[in-house]
Amino acid sequence: MFGYYVRLGLRQLRRSPVLTALVIVTLAVGVAASMSTLTVLYMMSSDPIPQKSDRILTLTLDNAPADSDGGEEYRPRGLSWIDVRALREGGFGLRRSGLYGTGGIVEPQKEGVKNFVGDGLAVDRDFFAMMDAQFAQGAAWSADDDRNEARVVVISDTMAEKLYGRENSIGRTLKFNGNELRVVGVLHHWKMLPRFYLLENGGRGGGPGLADQEDLFIPLSTAIATEQDINGNVSCQADAEPGFKGLIASECTFLHYWVELPEGSDRRQWREYLAGYVAQQQQRGRLKRPEPVRDYDVLDWLSYVGVVDDDTRLQTLLAFGFLTVCLVNTVGLLLAKFTARAGEIGVRRALGASRAQIFAQYLIEAGTLGLVGSVLGVALAYLMLHIMATQSPDLEALARMDTLMLVTSVLLSVAAAVIAGLLPTWRATQVVPALQLKSQ
Amino acid sequence: MEIRPILSALMRNKTGALLIAAQIALTFAITINAAYVIRDRLAIAARPSGVDDEQRVLAVRYTMNSPQNIDAMAQRDLRSLQAVPGVESVAITNQVPLGGGGWSGSFAVQNRRESPSVNAGMVFDDGHLLPTLGVKLVEGRYFRPDEILVIDPNTSRDNPPTALVTRGLAKTLFPNEASVLGKTVYLGNTADSPALQIIGVVDHIETPWAQTSERHLNSVIFPQRLLQPYNYYVVRLRADAAPDTRQQILDTLARNEPDRVTTRGLESIADLRAKRYRGEYAVAGLLLAVTVFLLIVTASGIVGMASLWVNLRRKQIGVRRALGATRADIVRYFITENLMISGTGVVAGLVAAQLLNALLLRQMSLPPLPWGGLAFGVVALLLLGVGSVLGPAMRASRLSPALATRSI
Repeated sequence: MFGYYVRLGLRQLRRSPVLTALVIVTLAVGVAASMSTLTVLYMMSSDPIPQKSDRILTLTLDNAPADSDGGEEYRPRGLSWIDVRALREGGFGLRRSGLYGTGGIVEPQKEGVKNFVGDGLAVDRDFFAMMDAQFAQGAAWSADDDRNEARVVVISDTMAEKLYGRENSIGRTLKFNGNELRVVGVLHHWKMLPRFYLLENGGRGGGPGLADQEDLFIPLSTAIATEQDINGNVSCQADAEPGFKGLIASECTFLHYWVELPEGSDRRQWREYLAGYVAQQQQRGRLKRPEPVRDYDVLDWLSYVGVVDDDTRLQTLLAFGFLTVCLVNTVGLLLAKFTARAGEIGVRRALGASRAQIFAQYLIEAGTLGLVGSVLGVALAYLMLHIMATQSPDLEALARMDTLMLVTSVLLSVAAAVIAGLLPTWRATQVVPALQLKSQ
Repeated sequence: MEIRPILSALMRNKTGALLIAAQIALTFAITINAAYVIRDRLAIAARPSGVDDEQRVLAVRYTMNSPQNIDAMAQRDLRSLQAVPGVESVAITNQVPLGGGGWSGSFAVQNRRESPSVNAGMVFDDGHLLPTLGVKLVEGRYFRPDEILVIDPNTSRDNPPTALVTRGLAKTLFPNEASVLGKTVYLGNTADSPALQIIGVVDHIETPWAQTSERHLNSVIFPQRLLQPYNYYVVRLRADAAPDTRQQILDTLARNEPDRVTTRGLESIADLRAKRYRGEYAVAGLLLAVTVFLLIVTASGIVGMASLWVNLRRKQIGVRRALGATRADIVRYFITENLMISGTGVVAGLVAAQLLNALLLRQMSLPPLPWGGLAFGVVALLLLGVGSVLGPAMRASRLSPALATRSI
């Protein structure tokens, strides 16, 4: 019976074409608006590393002087080199890496390629394994390189292509901020979306965006030793001596620290370890503010730095409000469509169809409309996402519909049509056959 | 009047009328809030930067590997940029209005912990910046050439003893003072925070971040040149500058120091404004599109429902016409009916709009809805309703009584 009702529903599309078209367009526009905004929201709040996001952990420390006026707004989001160095030496966790964003002039040392400004990230060697980054060529630098402040660099595949084309990049040298570095690895299509490990200002404002990717990765120890400029927020809780040496000896925060715990281990251990660290530092007269430490896993961190901004929420909220209006409108249109067929319903009822059968038939017809509407809706949603993508490089990466969102769009459209069809269908089952037959 | 009979007819068949009323209520609530957000965003994007002519003021940021003598390089750059035909004046600074990144610090009225501190942008002026930007001095005096300090951040933490502040910051720091000239502010609120004497007040200079909070009004201008390997040159063009002046400026910089990389090319303050407020424009555009679609959908809903009613009421209309009702009477019937439905919808919409607004206020910082906008929205939606019903009503009025009553 189901298949038959679907076929009937499709045939009914051709009757009263204007009304049908109105229903389909209304549904499609509503679904397109809500699904395109929802896609961006979903991509922004998606888990960049689902296989182990609950085992990759970070922290913030409030290292302001005990008597400062503080407040949540002033709480440092980064860490000082004092703390990152101590945490790295502490050696807790399966893998660990401090990091900070840097940038500077890349001198390719190759004919025909001009100097340009490259974005860099100073990390420890564990960073690549922690982030499940695959290498197209070479590998991460060694633990010895970390210790010896080696002049080595890992570059992204886009950077390798730009500098060396399709040739082997390993062993070549390039100059970054005046330092000669040897290429030891080329990443293979590696990108975190959102780029959780370093998100200054929630990925907005002056800093790098949610979808940006670094061109070069250098050892953190090397970056500190060669005084690489900081591309990111530097926030000083107390005065610092001049220069880079003054900065790294001070309580100024500009780094982050990530650890990966072994599989099956518990975040409580990280908490206990941090509590121990804070107690130890407090004995040295540091970290005297109330609640000096907070810990986060990847998803906690994304919500803390505010990846999903107000505007995205607002757009999604209003788009779903818009869908509601489209739904109410569809109810009215379907009511009109079904009411016009009271005579037909009367005949079916008189010939023995039960109310349940009428109900099924008309609800399926509404669903069929929704299915047809979903085709148009998905096409419109793709168009809207395409327009959004032109707004910024971040949106270009975020405004992409995956299979889940595509299936959701179709289901939403059908569900919307069925829900909108409930009242008109119920009204259709209330048709009194005798009255209808009499007037014919 | 015919209100009573229309009302009793409506009450006998409520579903359609309720649907239309609900739709109007929702449309009203969403449209009003959307319009309000649009206005808010456009107002933010239109805030002045303090620069008198944003097209004529250009900024270029460069990066280079620590040069041997940054100061000599800067002096040479400034001299040769000044010599480019079409250039009115040149300055070197650490940050520009709407430029994205820059310096900020905490400023306090007293150098004690109890003194609340205010966050403000820190602009370094080489003695030419304000005239080059075209920022107006409203009180006090500008820096003398001998006041400009040259500071190397690698060896020195000095601060100049004098500064200019924006009017906004002056009001925040000294809310009860008529004039802030000669007052002292501290860079920080600890005992060893450096003191600055305010020697003048500028009208406004937008921060690089152009925050949406009141903070965007706060800036302090220091008489200093900072010797760092990345700075901005600000260039003010003459009104009659030739179109290729921009290229000449870039060529001059490239010629002076071939290894230097200009990070984003040469951008006017107007370019920076467009870039900074792209998000605001995107939100406004999207909401505008939603609003327009909503109104179209609602109007089409009203047209559809009214057409259905006209069809259902063919006989009644015929009878009324046969009993002497004029065409105008029939049109009036439908319009009155629509006004009653829309009126109910709009009243419900007023409540829904406030609820939605309260929800939005909790999620983000927006001031509450203004009543003037609500009144405008009420009138606009009632007009939309009447406009939509007019077509079907005219069609109903043209029904011939003889045809409409034939099947009785």
